[in-house]
Amino acid sequence: MNTGPQVTRTKHARNALLLSIIPGFGQFYNGQKLKGSIYLVLTAIFFATFFQTLNIGFWGLITLGEIPRLDHSIRLLIDGILALLITVLGLVIYGLNLFDAYKDGKKREIGLPLNNLREQYRNLIDNGFPYLIISPGVLLLVFVVIFPIIFSFLLAFTNYDLYHSPPANLVDWIGFQNFIDIFKIDIWRTTFFSVFGWTLVWTFAATTLQVALGIFLAVLVNQKDLKGKAIIRTVFILPWAVPAFVSILVFSGMFNESFGVINTTILASLGIDPVSWMTESNWTRFALIMIQGWLGFPFIFAMTTGVLQSISDDLYEAATIDGASAWQKFRKITLPLVLYATAPIIITQYTFNFNNFNIIFLFNNGGPAVAGQNAWGTDILISWIYRLTMTAGQYGKAAAITMILSLIVMSVALWQFKRTKSFQEEDMM
Amino acid sequence: MKKAYSIFLVLMLAVGILAACGPDREEGAGGNEGSNADGAKPEKLVVWEDTDRSVALEPAVKAFEEEHGIKVEFKEYGMAEDMRNQIRLDGPAGKGPDVLTLPHDQIGMLAEEGTIQEISVEQSVLDTFTESSIQAQTYDGKLYGLPKATETPVFIYNKELMSEAPATMDEVYEFSKDFTDGKKFGFIALWDNFYHAYAVIGGMGGYVFGEKDGALQSDDLGINNEGAVAGAEYIQKWYKEGLFPKGVIGESGGSAQDGLFNEGKLASVQNGPWAFQGYMDAGIDIGATPMPKLPNGEPMTTFMGVKGWHVSAYTENKEWSTKLVEFLTNYDNAKIRFETTKEIPPVKELIEDPIIADDEYSNAVAVQSQYAIPMPNIPEMAEVWGPMATALQTLATNKAEPKEAMDEAAKTIQTNIETNHSK
Repeated sequence: MNTGPQVTRTKHARNALLLSIIPGFGQFYNGQKLKGSIYLVLTAIFFATFFQTLNIGFWGLITLGEIPRLDHSIRLLIDGILALLITVLGLVIYGLNLFDAYKDGKKREIGLPLNNLREQYRNLIDNGFPYLIISPGVLLLVFVVIFPIIFSFLLAFTNYDLYHSPPANLVDWIGFQNFIDIFKIDIWRTTFFSVFGWTLVWTFAATTLQVALGIFLAVLVNQKDLKGKAIIRTVFILPWAVPAFVSILVFSGMFNESFGVINTTILASLGIDPVSWMTESNWTRFALIMIQGWLGFPFIFAMTTGVLQSISDDLYEAATIDGASAWQKFRKITLPLVLYATAPIIITQYTFNFNNFNIIFLFNNGGPAVAGQNAWGTDILISWIYRLTMTAGQYGKAAAITMILSLIVMSVALWQFKRTKSFQEEDMM
Repeated sequence: MKKAYSIFLVLMLAVGILAACGPDREEGAGGNEGSNADGAKPEKLVVWEDTDRSVALEPAVKAFEEEHGIKVEFKEYGMAEDMRNQIRLDGPAGKGPDVLTLPHDQIGMLAEEGTIQEISVEQSVLDTFTESSIQAQTYDGKLYGLPKATETPVFIYNKELMSEAPATMDEVYEFSKDFTDGKKFGFIALWDNFYHAYAVIGGMGGYVFGEKDGALQSDDLGINNEGAVAGAEYIQKWYKEGLFPKGVIGESGGSAQDGLFNEGKLASVQNGPWAFQGYMDAGIDIGATPMPKLPNGEPMTTFMGVKGWHVSAYTENKEWSTKLVEFLTNYDNAKIRFETTKEIPPVKELIEDPIIADDEYSNAVAVQSQYAIPMPNIPEMAEVWGPMATALQTLATNKAEPKEAMDEAAKTIQTNIETNHSK
């Protein structure tokens, strides 16, 4: 075997790569017996251990079971996802094997010496250490985060509902039928667009209200001559301190049509007739937006107060000398600086309200019911999905809507984060 | 690129070979019947009971153990939903019960999924129960369990405010007219909630689903027929004339109603036996009778809830599980259940027994049960509640005419059944 520089062109790299199709053989070809055996043994162990899992898994994933009662489609689906994940893991190691054989073959072609065992070990420890440390975390992530996502993603392409649910019946793959139904069947389309429309209105109205209120009050309280700042701030933080679900339930009582204080005391003292807060969708929606404004502003208030402390007084002094009015100072100095610092958090407030299940569910259970659609008057997408799974047993459809919903949230969030300066400067995207 | 392509091909081939295999079924096929299908005696049976109800189960279980030499274990579970979700997970895993208890309106869903199974008992056993309670345990013409306890709303009144129990709703109406002044109320029923409103709608001739050969027909809706509309008109009358406060409506209506009753500002209500204890705890001297008769002379057909014992589809001891269900619901054990829990078993002989007949509260429930009909137990019922709540709430707030509200509700229910329940 030649160890010196080679003039004639050899094909070690290609040979090693091709031999490596059976893991380990490429390494043997390169003369690395121990490494080759490790790959070979690893492959054997992989197939010996996982053969049954992969066999049943892929069979189940493709067929979702063949005999009702004996085959439980949903368990087969889960087994199938497991098989998929194991396959990906296997492929990664397989790829490493191919790459390793090719790389060492290339080294031989240009006549470089191969690393001996000790060097390889050192190499692995030096370069691979971070990967070694995070691998348990990644593994956990795969099963806690990726696994459920794949599961609900796949459910969206099945006909899983009450009449196609194990053990009595099998679940089948139906491709994009759920998505087609949502947009094609009248009642689904009507419901989807009315719920989606309200979800958007809700998100923008409620969040904008809480943000505007928070910033406004923070600027107000931050005025230099104001006495008793500490007390005022404490009072403003209070809505945040009480658990939201308690507040929402209390509000639900306060908005009661003939007993709640809103109608009997507050509106009555203003000479306004009782409003049907709980039985007319639009009034319920209005109440919900107001309540979320109240619940949400303290957080923005606290954050803005913090940012305001860091704005230098010099800016305002300079502006005063230039003859700027209070409004101009606010618009040209305070607001841009506050928004600049808090934009990422404000965006997450929007995405939070987009999926704010608690307030919708606790206030009036998504009600009042309205005719002609299978969601109720104040249902947002997330509470509609809850209704579909818990009362109608429409698991497949609910998964499809979940996918549409996540797609919207993800794309909006991505787009906004990308446009936000504070993220660009950290080079996040 | 050629290389990558060939690697890809090899991989696809490998996956293809794997996928083509599948499980080896030669021995296992059709093995769900279980090893004990022939009725061999098992060592033990597992029972799932409601929370705090095992006091009634314990003596029965002991007697069963002595008689048959089979050990019976039991475990308590919180709500019906807990049990339903639990058996879906534990059943396939082999940790499920042999026998479990469920409210009858879940039978349709679980039978459709195949979580509980049909049982067969002698006609003589069936004859010991009231007809409606057996009807509640039947889905699609098949028997899925035996009834353990029933409950249905009755007329509950404050003896200090109402000296005598009225016999007709006309009397209640007259009393209410005199008594109600905006702060105090004569009678309140949660008639914006279909569960309670059905008493009137059904009594006037409406129905939810028609019946054919012992099976409920989801395509035969009776909630906008003439009788139902008459019922809706009667309901609206109470709200229109201000006899029911507008605030007793929707999700929080029940607590508003109970609050008024507990404060002594409300003379009578339509409510279920679950409310007795709370009212007594609030220091109210309550009386209970069957619901007063409607203006058309018919009794109110309240919705009845029946809890039953069912056999899990995952059990390996179907025959003995059925025997246990029969045993738990027989006269002796039903009597123990009534004595320890005050739940009323729909056992004919027991209803006539003095221990129930002489108990004012239990007697009211037992008598009302005879006019009551079981809530429909088919899964399509899930589509009825929402639209009916809407219709009744718009009636209560005077925003719609009875006819159009009921028609609209029927239309919505129909569309939802078509979209959500097409098999």
